[in-house]
Amino acid sequence: MGRRTDTLAGTLELLILKALARTPNHGFGIALHIEGASEGLLTIEEGSLYPALHRMEREKLIRGSWSVTENARRAKLYTLTTAGQKRLEVIEAHWLSTAKGVSKVLRFA
Amino acid sequence: MRLFAWLRRRFFPQDDWREEMEAHLEMRKAWNRDCGMPDVLADTEARKKFGNQTRALESVRDVYWARWIDEGLQDLRHTLRDWRRHPNLFLTILATLMLGIGAATAIFSLVDPLLFRPLPYPHGERLVSLGYTGPIDTSEFLLGGSYLTWRDEQQVLSAFTAMRPAGECDVNLNRPVRVPCGLVEWNFLRTFEIFPAAGRDFLKAEDSPGAPLTAILSHRFAETAGDRGIVGSVVEVDGSKARVVGILPSTFVMPQLGEVDVLLPAQLNEAAMRAPNATMFLRAFGRLKPGVNVRAAREAMTPVFRKTLQDFPRSLRSEAGFVLRSLRDRQIEEAKAASWLLMLAVLFLLAMSSVNVINLLLARSEARREEFAMRLALGAGYWRLLRQSFTESVLYGSLGAALGMAFAIFLLRSLSAMAAGGFLRLEAARVDGRVMMFAVAISLLCALTVGSIPTLHLLRPELLRTWTHATARRSRLRQMLLSLQIAFSLLLLSGSLLFMRSLLNLESSKPGFAPENLIAVTVNVTHARYSQPAKLAAFHNELERRLSLLLPARLFAVADSLPPSGRTHGRPLANMFVDGSHEPLKNGGMVAFRYVTPGYFKTMKIPVLSGTVFSEEQRVGKESAVVLSDALARRIFGRESPLGRRIEVGSGWLNVIGVVGDVKNSGLEKPSDPEYYRLRMRDGIQLGYTATAVFRTTMSAVAIDRWAKKQVAAIDPTVPLQVVALPERLRSLNDRPRFLALIMTTLALAAVLLAAVGLYGVVSFLAASRKRELGLRAALGASRKNLIAVIEKDVLPWVLAGTALGVGGELLTQRYIRSLLFDVSAADVKILALAVALMLLIAVLACWRPAVHASKVDPAITLRVE
Repeated sequence: MGRRTDTLAGTLELLILKALARTPNHGFGIALHIEGASEGLLTIEEGSLYPALHRMEREKLIRGSWSVTENARRAKLYTLTTAGQKRLEVIEAHWLSTAKGVSKVLRFA
Repeated sequence: MRLFAWLRRRFFPQDDWREEMEAHLEMRKAWNRDCGMPDVLADTEARKKFGNQTRALESVRDVYWARWIDEGLQDLRHTLRDWRRHPNLFLTILATLMLGIGAATAIFSLVDPLLFRPLPYPHGERLVSLGYTGPIDTSEFLLGGSYLTWRDEQQVLSAFTAMRPAGECDVNLNRPVRVPCGLVEWNFLRTFEIFPAAGRDFLKAEDSPGAPLTAILSHRFAETAGDRGIVGSVVEVDGSKARVVGILPSTFVMPQLGEVDVLLPAQLNEAAMRAPNATMFLRAFGRLKPGVNVRAAREAMTPVFRKTLQDFPRSLRSEAGFVLRSLRDRQIEEAKAASWLLMLAVLFLLAMSSVNVINLLLARSEARREEFAMRLALGAGYWRLLRQSFTESVLYGSLGAALGMAFAIFLLRSLSAMAAGGFLRLEAARVDGRVMMFAVAISLLCALTVGSIPTLHLLRPELLRTWTHATARRSRLRQMLLSLQIAFSLLLLSGSLLFMRSLLNLESSKPGFAPENLIAVTVNVTHARYSQPAKLAAFHNELERRLSLLLPARLFAVADSLPPSGRTHGRPLANMFVDGSHEPLKNGGMVAFRYVTPGYFKTMKIPVLSGTVFSEEQRVGKESAVVLSDALARRIFGRESPLGRRIEVGSGWLNVIGVVGDVKNSGLEKPSDPEYYRLRMRDGIQLGYTATAVFRTTMSAVAIDRWAKKQVAAIDPTVPLQVVALPERLRSLNDRPRFLALIMTTLALAAVLLAAVGLYGVVSFLAASRKRELGLRAALGASRKNLIAVIEKDVLPWVLAGTALGVGGELLTQRYIRSLLFDVSAADVKILALAVALMLLIAVLACWRPAVHASKVDPAITLRVE
């Protein structure tokens, strides 16, 4: 994957990891969670979730398995792996400190 | 293709991705509906929120591709780094692969046209050749009357055709030439499903006796005539006019592989063929009906054969046989055994070079174990490691294929340069697309086997669990491979010794005359020009007179043919009669004969065993005398003296005046036929269109050529002649056995070299892996000799097992090569013993150096390392 989407992809990755840290979920569930938790501030193009999910699966941050949802529909359910857990801790801390720094800079005037 | 689909599903499960996204859309739609949107809006809203699905799919695919390419590049880098670090190993492996693949490819290109490539006729596998076998000819033939019966009564062939044995004819198309001609039935080309490239095929009407003559020309011949409008023109064939109706395709070959330039309708006269004493000689070919195989056809035709046996000359009937075989078998005859032998030998060699590479890689992977164990521990999957070695194998395979093909082209060039006549259709062998495909296939097969065995060996879990050296378990795999190699090379070694022995026997076999300093001048006159006996006799007498001027009479002779060729004239023994009786002789077989001048025996140095030979005075008047070869005298008269007895050979009773030594007359390899000599009479009744003058002289063939040309031109400037030195001609007759011996020896040398390298490698490895033990032994006082013995004890049993296996293999395969040997029994114990001794000697030598090297351990250093 190219470098140019690094920040964005990094953010998306963080959001996905965070969503999955609560509970294993499918792509739609993750999208719904992000939308709800951000109170509508963050809307993502839902199709772009999937390349990210597959890349993270290949990197063994999350693990996907096919299962049947409560309304009897086949969907791929993603679970956080130990490696994913560790990654979440690292980038969450990184992001928080970055955000803090950025907001401090913005408030300075 | 199925594999491809599987791979695709395994690595790019696009349907899964799509299903996953569809599920997402469905769930979003349901959600939207639950929020109160109407159906249509729920759907469009869901799609809008999802964005471009195709692009999403493509992005997912990119994720997988990127990963693959990334890892592939990584594997490549690993491999290249590895090669740079061990250039010697890398070069040895490549050289070994080049040797194995190159040799296999070269031999394949030789035998492919004979064994595997489809015949140049549509559905060629259904074509058969059929007929009688008997002492009259070496290939199957049919007699006219039998042919008609077979044709009318057979049920298994969809087409059945015949031709007269090919001969030469005088053709005048712009200029007179003598070219090979074929007299064929009108359905001949149709049976082979060959259509003329220009013009048309013969019509049935043109094939009836007395019909106006038509002709079909070969592409080559039509081209030399250079005339575009040749179809429809008229050519002169043996003095008659024939209209050209068609041109053969340039790819056409006659079913018996001979060249042909002019095809004419045979115009068989069926009534005459059915007459009781008709002896028309034919070659017959057929096309099997669908669903009939050769064996079934043979069974179905056997009763017909039995029925027509009465057409066979009564005296020969007991020796008649029936043959129906595939056209391919007819074409390659005795080259078949040689082809399979070479193919087998070279596959052995390929297997051996693979084994060597496996051994080298095993040693390498032993060293790599730590690296692999570490990478596994760090989270690399087995699959990932397997793929790494797969990449390496494919690299080896493709480099091996490229080098192998280059080597094959080199081999093929040198082979055809060294022995052009050494192999049937050697000139047709080349490295083309088919051969390249073969090379690539064997390279990949080789590379994958070679790559996967060490890796699987390495990835055994118990080896990977620990990364310490101490667990170096002594695996039996490499020793077993070693035994196999020794067995293969012993097989090739003993085979090549047999062929060399056979070649030596051939080269030293006595032809029955002294070929040194003999130069032969052969003159052919055309039938059309010399159709009158008187004119022909005048030519022959004048030719003999002029040529005899050069040398005294005892050094010059004229005959119609020279040994060791024979079969130019021959008659069945059963057609000879003795002492006024007309009871046929029973012993069977063929008898060769020649017409010679009185000086023949002296010039050729054929010893006179008893009686006397011809004199000049006997050449005029009525023919009265005959000279027998020793073998014929004994065949007919046993121990009685033949002198003064009378025999009849088709031209009145002749007195046996002498017996001379046997000469080779069926080539050098086959046992000689008995032979008799008749005198070349002056009146020319039996003088054919060919005369061969032979000179015993120290002059060069070039000088004789120049002089003889002048003499012949003085009589008739249109008559061509060929000059050949007999020693050279004899040598060239051994081209095929020499070729086989040469190739087999080369292969055997390569095999022995590979076995030695393999052995060397295994011993070095074993010694290295027992370094600590050896050091300990040395510290405890073992002498160098003891240490060497310890190491050798590890390999010796395996060497011996391999030798035993090789001897067993040789005993099993010997009966297949017997037919290719001259005067050597394939089970020659002396040769086998020599091969075993050589092999063991080489084995000991190959073990020696690494063993000695290992025994030089300094106990202190070795022990300190641990």
